[in-house]
Amino acid sequence: MPGHYVDIPVGREGAQVVADRLRQVYILRPGDTCPPLHIVAEKGSRTEVTLVVMPGVDVDIRVDVDLMGEGADLRMAGLYVCGGKERVSVHTRVCHRAPGCSSDQVFTGIAGGGARVAFHGTIVVAPDAQQTQAFQQSRNLLLSQDARVETEPQLEIYADDVKCSHGATVGSLNADEQFYMRSRGVPEAEAKVLQMLSFLSPVLAGLEEKDALAAELEQAIRSIV
Amino acid sequence: MSDILLKITDLHAGIEGREILCGIDLEIRRGEVHAVMGPNGAGKSTLSAVLTGKPQYTVTQGSVEFMGRDLLALSPEERAWAGMFLSFQYPVEIPGVSITNFMKTALNAKRAAAGLEPLKAAEFLKLMREKMAFVQMKPEFAKREVNVGFSGGEKKRNEIFQMAMLDPVLSILDETDSGLDVDALKIVADGVNALRTPEKSAIIITHYQKLLDYVVPDVVHVLKAGRIVRTGGREIIGLIESQGFDQF
Repeated sequence: MPGHYVDIPVGREGAQVVADRLRQVYILRPGDTCPPLHIVAEKGSRTEVTLVVMPGVDVDIRVDVDLMGEGADLRMAGLYVCGGKERVSVHTRVCHRAPGCSSDQVFTGIAGGGARVAFHGTIVVAPDAQQTQAFQQSRNLLLSQDARVETEPQLEIYADDVKCSHGATVGSLNADEQFYMRSRGVPEAEAKVLQMLSFLSPVLAGLEEKDALAAELEQAIRSIV
Repeated sequence: MSDILLKITDLHAGIEGREILCGIDLEIRRGEVHAVMGPNGAGKSTLSAVLTGKPQYTVTQGSVEFMGRDLLALSPEERAWAGMFLSFQYPVEIPGVSITNFMKTALNAKRAAAGLEPLKAAEFLKLMREKMAFVQMKPEFAKREVNVGFSGGEKKRNEIFQMAMLDPVLSILDETDSGLDVDALKIVADGVNALRTPEKSAIIITHYQKLLDYVVPDVVHVLKAGRIVRTGGREIIGLIESQGFDQF
């Protein structure tokens, strides 16, 4: 499939040096599409990829990352807010092909209305990729009976000296948190908005664009409550 | 204006089909501080949850009037706007929401319900600073996420701070003394005492006399197995302290 992908080399030695550090932020609004991405991370490089899916977007996101050079580092964060009939699917495949690389993926979002969200995340650790650190987390909030979230993490580990973990949660708004806010006079709808912002905050807090994004995400949340 | 702030009549309530309050009668006048004491499982926290409208609880019988209004017909936020406040036994952590943002939302919602404009930013910050100083919270807490990473004492102080901000008519303190050391207890007690006025009342729920050494109640009730089995004055606290709850 290489022809379908946008190839992004990071820290490549030789003619095509891009940078030691790559930051890509994709904010998808209605009408936007996202090309499949293939990131090749060379020795010692740092890569940060952020994907934000706003309400009203149907999208199929594919990100393949090859950590080719020793000590390459990847941070990937995804946020979505869906409240209608959106179809969002995210496939990530992170391959640790050299020793001492690290990867951290967090996908988190809110599905309401009749939205369908799927996350398939695969981590592969090649036999000689010793001292790999690979983490993956998928946290999802379901707002309605009709919304669906499918989350499928997969680990394929062929090396023995590695630290890997993955976790997935699908839950609903915390009732105690909501009552606490309402008991202080925060109206129910407003309490829900605060709760959802609170839910997204761990991912948001780590992003350079957090201030600009927070305002847009708050609006997005208000549009689906 | 009626002298009676809260009137509970034959209140039966429970959770998940289990009856926990089995006929409570209680009357609180303006200016009074009532203590509700009882052993674990007596229904103390259920009483505070039912009075503030926690959705998981169901009232099966009886009535509650708050300043002449049917309290049970109001949502939790409407009860707050009417002047009720609950200091939680276990204050909830809200990551990503600052104390400033939370209090601004709460206070302005209460003002809106009374037909008032939102407070201007400068006025709001001044009020925040004043009330934080009042419970000896450091100013940097204004930016902290609500209760996240707070010690037990800090959480309880944050409750009293919010109480001071919202200026309730009836404050319910649910086990506010649990998990506090003496210094934190004194700060909390000073806060509660400073808010005592002839118009305002408080219910102090506890199974312990600690807080009542500092906030002296006018009336003491003993709650046991979902019923008030004894009502009297301060002398009851001493009885409980020396002989426990079995005597009632």
